[in-house]
Amino acid sequence: MNTQTDTSLIRNFSIVAHIDHGKSTISDRILELTHTVEQRDLYKQMLDSMDIEQERGITIKSNAVRVLYDADDGKQYQFNLIDTPGHVDFTYEVSRSLAACEGAVLVVDATQGVEAQTVSNALLAMNADLEIVPAINKIDLPSAEPEQVRAEIEEVLAIPADDAVCVSGKTGEGIHDLLESIVYLIPPPTGDASAPLKALILDSYFDAYRGVVAMVRIFDGSIKAGDRLLMMAEEQPFLAEEVGVKRPLEQPLPQLGMGEVGYLVTGLKDPALVKTGDTITGETRRCAEPCPGYHEAKPMVFTGIFPVDNKYYENLRDALEKLKVNDPSLTWTPETSVALGFGFRVGFLGLLHMEVVKERLEREFDLDLIATSPSVDYHVYLTDGQMIEVTSPQDLPVPEKIERIEEPYLKATVIVPPDYVGAVMQLLVDHRGTSTDMVYLSEKSVEMHFDIPLAELILDFFDQLKSRTKGYASLDYEFSGYAPSPLVKLDILLAGEEVDALSFIVHRDKAYQLGRGLCDKLKEIIPRQQFEVPIQGAIGNKIISRSTVKAHRKDVLAKCYGGDITRKRKLLEKQKEGKKRMKSIGRVDVPQEAFLAVLKVDDE
Amino acid sequence: MGVGALYVHVPFCARKCRYCDFASKATRTDDPCMDGYLKERIAELDRCQRLGMLGSCKTAYLGGGTPTFLGATRLGTLVSRIRMTCPNLTEFSCEANPDSLTDEVIEALCGAGVTRVSIGVQSLDDEELRALGRIHTANQARTRVQAAIAAGLDVSVDLMCAIPKQTDESWRQTIHEVIALSVGHVSVYPLAIEEGTPFGKRYGDETPPWNDEDVQAQRMECAERLLTGAGLHRYEVASYAREGKQCAHNIAYWTGIPYLGLGPGAASMLDASCYDSARRLYDWLPPRPHEASRMRFSTLDREVEFLSAREAWAEDLMLGMRLTRGVEEERLDAVPDTRDDLLARGLVERDGDRLIPTHDGWLLGNELFAALWDLHQQS
Repeated sequence: MNTQTDTSLIRNFSIVAHIDHGKSTISDRILELTHTVEQRDLYKQMLDSMDIEQERGITIKSNAVRVLYDADDGKQYQFNLIDTPGHVDFTYEVSRSLAACEGAVLVVDATQGVEAQTVSNALLAMNADLEIVPAINKIDLPSAEPEQVRAEIEEVLAIPADDAVCVSGKTGEGIHDLLESIVYLIPPPTGDASAPLKALILDSYFDAYRGVVAMVRIFDGSIKAGDRLLMMAEEQPFLAEEVGVKRPLEQPLPQLGMGEVGYLVTGLKDPALVKTGDTITGETRRCAEPCPGYHEAKPMVFTGIFPVDNKYYENLRDALEKLKVNDPSLTWTPETSVALGFGFRVGFLGLLHMEVVKERLEREFDLDLIATSPSVDYHVYLTDGQMIEVTSPQDLPVPEKIERIEEPYLKATVIVPPDYVGAVMQLLVDHRGTSTDMVYLSEKSVEMHFDIPLAELILDFFDQLKSRTKGYASLDYEFSGYAPSPLVKLDILLAGEEVDALSFIVHRDKAYQLGRGLCDKLKEIIPRQQFEVPIQGAIGNKIISRSTVKAHRKDVLAKCYGGDITRKRKLLEKQKEGKKRMKSIGRVDVPQEAFLAVLKVDDE
Repeated sequence: MGVGALYVHVPFCARKCRYCDFASKATRTDDPCMDGYLKERIAELDRCQRLGMLGSCKTAYLGGGTPTFLGATRLGTLVSRIRMTCPNLTEFSCEANPDSLTDEVIEALCGAGVTRVSIGVQSLDDEELRALGRIHTANQARTRVQAAIAAGLDVSVDLMCAIPKQTDESWRQTIHEVIALSVGHVSVYPLAIEEGTPFGKRYGDETPPWNDEDVQAQRMECAERLLTGAGLHRYEVASYAREGKQCAHNIAYWTGIPYLGLGPGAASMLDASCYDSARRLYDWLPPRPHEASRMRFSTLDREVEFLSAREAWAEDLMLGMRLTRGVEEERLDAVPDTRDDLLARGLVERDGDRLIPTHDGWLLGNELFAALWDLHQQS
C-alpha cells in the first residue's frame, strides 16, 4: 500500500482565465468526461458550495480535485485539477496555487479574445515556470473567431498557439483533445520521494470536528497518517491525522506521495497557524529550504463595520471570528465612532473581498450592519519624525502635526478596444491616474498601463470603467508602492454636528468637488425629518459645501375608511420598521446607505 | 350594553374612481345583487336586534362605495330598517355622490330618517373631476348640495386636494364656493396614491408633482385658513364643522366608543360583551382570550385583533390626538417621558388640563400617533 505512485502518470495543473471566459464550465466537463462526477450530480455540488461564489460566478477559495483519466495511450493518468480564485483581490492565493502545478490551461474566450486578466494570469503562470496549454473556448458560438484569438495569444502573450485546443465547455467539443494535450504537454512532477518532506499549503479550510484541513502539494517525501509534522513559518508541530484526496468528496488514502496533491487533516484548532504558502516538513527530519514565495496576506482596503443596533456588537465579533476560520486573510481591530458606537475596522484583500464578507455577515449571521466608506492604509509622517499607519479617517491627526501623507499606489493595466482609449484617459484624469505607456496588442485591442492611487480605485472606478467603455474594458492591477500626496480630511456635518463616520480622506484638488457631490447625494438619501437638516462639507473649520434636507411638511393619514383603525396602525408600524433600520445621529435618522454615499457620488 | 355606533357598508358604485382602493364594485343600477345585499343586511339587523346589540346605538352611518347608488326604494327600505333596529339614534349619516343623489333619493332619505348626507364633491372644477375619474360635473355637485340643504338635511362635503390639474387658485376657488353653499361640515383629504389603483399602477413609487408632500401640506393649510375664517372649525385631522355640526359618528371612532360594522367591507370595534354577541352574528369569529379588553375585526378579510387593556389605552391616546381637542393630560401621567418628549418635539402643547396637537402635530400626525401607539409595548 505504501507505494509511491509512478510520477510519470501524474499531471498537476490549474485552469486560468479572465472572468466569464468559461473556466468553471470546462472544469465541469473534465469532471464529467473522466466520470468523476455524473452530470446529474453537478448541480447538487454547485449548490453545496458557497452561495456568494455561485451568485457572482467567482471562486474565492482554492481547491484541488483528483480525476483519473484513461488516455489514448492506454494508461491511466492521475490529474490533480487545482482550482484558483478568479479575482485580482486574490493574486497571492492564485500564485500559491500555481506554485503547486507543473502546467496551466489558459482559457480564452473565442468571442472576446485576450483580456486583462488573461494577460495577468498568463504572466503569473509563466513566472511560476508552468507549461501553458492554451484553450480557445466557446467555439460553438456564431461570433467565435478562433483564428483571430490564436493570433492574439501568440502576439500578445508570446505563447506558441499552434497547439491551442479549440473547445466548447458548453457542448463538450474538444475536451477530449484538451485532456490529451495535458498528458503530452504538461510535464510530470519531479522531486525526491526519499528526501525529507517538503509540502506547500495551497489553502485551508476549517472543519468543526477535525480542525483545520490543509490542501497540500508534496514536492519531496511523503505524508502518512500519524506522521509528526511541522509548519515551518509558524514553527508549529502537529500530527497528520488523516490524508486523502478530493474526488470531489473527501476520500482518505494511506499516504500522499511525492508529486501528489491532496488534503491533510492537521488537528490544529487555530486557523491562524495554517497559512497559505507555508511549507510543511517533518518535525524531526526537516527539509533544508521552505518553498519560496511565502508571505503573509496583507489587507489593502479597510472599512468600518458597525451593527445598526449596538447591542449586536458581540454578535458581530463572533460572526467575524467564525468567518476568519475559513478566511484567515480577514483582519480587524475594534473601532469606536461617536456616531455609530462600537464596531470594527476590518481589513480586506480588495473590494470584492469586502463586499463578499459584508454580504456573508448580513446573510449568514442575520446582522443589520452599517459599512462606512472604504479607505486604504495611509502612511502619515508626523512632524516629530514618527510614521503612523492610518486606515480610518477619524484617526488622521490634525494637519499641524502632519509633515506629509503617503498613499498606496497601483500599477494597473486596462485592455480596451482603441475607440475607448479617450474615455479611459478621461477616467484616469478624473481619478488621479497617470498613463505610463500604451501598447497596441492588435487592431482590436490596446493595452494601457498607468499608475493610480489605490484610494481612487476603490471608489467606483471599476463600474465607471465598465460603463464608459460599454463593458469592453478589462482591468488588472498590482500594488506598486507608497507615494506622497496632498491629502486632506473632508468632514460632514449633519444639523451642525460633525459625523465622524462620514469623514473621508481625499486629494486636496478634489475636495471641493467631492464635498459638493457628497452633500447633494446625502440630501437624496436622508429622508425628510421633522426639522430641516442642513448638511455641510468641511475641511478643518472651513465649510466648503452645503445642502439642506427640507423639513417634513406632511405625514398623516387623513382618510379613515369606516373606522378601520387596524389598517392605520399597520401603516404606522410599517413606517416604524423602516425607521428601525436607520441610525439615529443626534436628532437625525440616517439610512445605512448614507455611510457609503461617497461611492455613489456622480462625476460631474 | 350594546354598541354606540353602527356602520353599514354599501359596496356598489357606478364606476371606480382612479384613486379608490376601497372595497366596492362597479355595477349597473338594476343589478339584482343589490337586492340580495339588502336582504342580507336586513337579516343581520334583525339578528342584532334580537341580540340586543343596537338598543343603545346613538349614531348610524351608511358608507360606501356609493350608498345612494342603491336607488330611492332600496335605500329607503335599508334606512327604515336601521331606524327600527336602532330606536335611539341622534344622528344618521349617508354618503352620497352628486350623480345618484336625485330628488327621489333625497326624499326617500328624509322620509326614512336620515339626518345628514356626506356628499362626495371632491372638487368644483370639471377638469379636475375628470382627471380623478369622477362621473359627475361641478355643476351637478352644486345643485345637489343645494337640494339636500333645501330638504333640511345637514350637509357635509368631501373635498380632495393635491390632485391632478389642481392649482393653488383652483383649490381656493373650490373652497370659497363650498363656503358659499353654506354647508355645515367639510372634510378635506389629500389624495393618497394607493397600490393597486389606476393611479398606483401609473405612478408606482414615484410621486407626481401634483401630489408632492409640500403641495399636500400647503393645500391642507390653505383649507384650514379659509374654512376657519368662514366659521368652519377644524375638529379632527380632516374634518371641519360649524358649531354643533360635528359628525358624532366620526368622533365615536376617535373616542373609544364601540361600533359595529355590517356589510362586506366593514370594520368593528367591540367590548367584551358586544363581541360575545357578535360571535352569534358572525360564526367565523373566534372566542376571545380572557384578558382581551377590546376586539377589532373586519368583515372583508375576517381578520380579528384582540387588544389588551394596555393596548386599548395606547390606542385611545393615539386616536384621541386626531381630534383638535386632544386628550386630558392626566391620561399621560403614567408616561411622563413620552409626554415631555412630545412637548419638546413641538408635536403637542398644553391647553388647560388637556394636551392638544400643535400645527406640526396635525400635519405630522403619524409621528405623534406612532409615539403614542408605541406605549402599548412598555409595561
